[in-house]
Amino acid sequence: MALRNLGRNKTRTGITVFSMAFAGFTMILYMSLVAGFFQTLEDNTIGLDLGEFQMHAKGYRSDPDLYKRIEDPASVIRTASERGFNASARLYGYGLAAFGNSSAGVMLRGVDLENEPKVTRISGSVMEGSWLDRADPKGVVVGKKLARTLGLKPGDELVLVSQASDGSMANDLYKVRGVLKTVGEVVDQAGFLMSDDEFRRLLVVPTGAHEVAMTRRNKDVPLDAATAEASKAFPGLEVRNWKQLQPILARMMDMMGTSVKMVIMIAYSAVGMIILNAMLMNVFERIREFGVMKALGVSPARIFLLITAEALLSAFFASVAAAGLGAPAALHYQRHGLDLEMLTTSMNVSGMALDPTLHFRLTPAALGMPIFFMFALVVVATLYPAMKAAVIRPVEALHHQ
Amino acid sequence: MDEDMIRLESVSKVYREGRIEVPALSDVSLKINKGEFAAVSGPSGSGKTTLLNLIGALDVPTGGKIWLEGKDLSALDRTALSQIRRDRIGFVFQAYNLIAVLTAFENAEFVMAIQGVPAAERRDRTTAILRDVGLGGLEGRRPDELSGGQQQRVAIARAMVTGPAVVLADEPTANLDSHTADSLLDMMEELNRKRGVTFLFSTHDPRVMERARRIIRLRDGRLDSDEITKQD
Repeated sequence: MALRNLGRNKTRTGITVFSMAFAGFTMILYMSLVAGFFQTLEDNTIGLDLGEFQMHAKGYRSDPDLYKRIEDPASVIRTASERGFNASARLYGYGLAAFGNSSAGVMLRGVDLENEPKVTRISGSVMEGSWLDRADPKGVVVGKKLARTLGLKPGDELVLVSQASDGSMANDLYKVRGVLKTVGEVVDQAGFLMSDDEFRRLLVVPTGAHEVAMTRRNKDVPLDAATAEASKAFPGLEVRNWKQLQPILARMMDMMGTSVKMVIMIAYSAVGMIILNAMLMNVFERIREFGVMKALGVSPARIFLLITAEALLSAFFASVAAAGLGAPAALHYQRHGLDLEMLTTSMNVSGMALDPTLHFRLTPAALGMPIFFMFALVVVATLYPAMKAAVIRPVEALHHQ
Repeated sequence: MDEDMIRLESVSKVYREGRIEVPALSDVSLKINKGEFAAVSGPSGSGKTTLLNLIGALDVPTGGKIWLEGKDLSALDRTALSQIRRDRIGFVFQAYNLIAVLTAFENAEFVMAIQGVPAAERRDRTTAILRDVGLGGLEGRRPDELSGGQQQRVAIARAMVTGPAVVLADEPTANLDSHTADSLLDMMEELNRKRGVTFLFSTHDPRVMERARRIIRLRDGRLDSDEITKQD
């Protein structure tokens, strides 16, 4: 009966179902976009630069000093590996790079070429040229914005000046092997990457490392549990996970669920008005019929259920349409990405890089939440008209014109 | 007392329209016995429909009490009143009041469906009663595909099919031609005689009053006369 009632005014039912379906479709795409955005952000944050965890000598993070080093990084990497982590040591220093008439301050990073690919994907994130090679100790890789500032391209030679740990002047001539894609704000603007051997030679740092970056081999181990495990394994070091290293980003991700729900509710509130209006019209047009039904002995509860069933049926059709169109669209953008290159060449959030091609991610929540909210909204929007029809006195309803 | 189908004691009904009070029934007391074939008559505005609405538990009186089969209607809640209307009363409305999206068959079986009668039994009883009211072969038509007389027959089938204790018919012949009206009255008389169903009509149609065995006349909301016109 509810199904037939929907067919009474096909135009109105059509508009109502279309409005709900369109809102559902939009929300599925929006949630997939947000899920993809944050997944990409998390992947880039961890996968290109930070790693899941970082260890430093005590006090290094608050005062990054060339002399505050992890004494035996090889032993740390070995222990980490035994505890289920991939780890790679890094060295940091600062200097001035000059090319032609231009110069810029740079952040030097000495990279453990064997272990870094086990922790991050930075070695595969070269936009032009190629990654570092031990066989080419004078070959360096620079950040995207630094290359633009100095006008560098692969093959160019530049001068680097710094101060070595023994107080002497460190300077040398390097050749650009590669220019990185967007990695993160600091690396993009000042990244000057070389092999750890070359770094040690240039800045006279024969031992130690400033940072050991790590990732879990078993991703099922919770991040906090793994952090506790690493802290216990390395009591003399400061261990932080990526959420502690990038608290703003972590907070944003934690709040994603809440903010997405709010956006859905705001978007759906407009649709709710349409549903409420349609249901009210539907009820008022048929008030006499409800009077007849009540006169024949249909209970108020059944009248309420009939109207609710009509609304839920509309929501069902709308959900099928929304999911039927939204899921393939989201999957398309998950596979091929949405190219925003025309709007921006690079994006970053809280210093973390994002590729301008956004890849959606159709998660169960991205598909289920808009549909769940649609049904919830329909139930709420139907409450008043359904109650009104349920409680009206039969004689009033029968005389309704 | 056991023979009372309906009993009214000092029943009155006042409608309020803003600050204006319009008395529709004043101090009406009467009894309708089981198996009666009675008509409530009177000019327009005399309170006929109001009386039927009150007896049918579609409305509540402003004063007085109504008993149906010994049950005080004022003591029952909405759900209990719904059950009384569903199980004990059959309604026939002047405007037929069929449900537009249901076929003749579905309209006729509607009350049985909400009573929870099994589908097979519903089918048999509905088929039989539609045949009895002369609608065999038209079961699949929707109300807008039936004439006024045919719609009224469906409404009577709907009212009768559950075997109610009383049928309340509000101007059942008002929109019908003479032939159809006579045929429907024949049918209702037969149901009354065969099954002992109590009939109470509101009418000012002489054809109905001619058939009624008791005529209750109302004037300005008051009981004007109450006479037995024919003996069973």
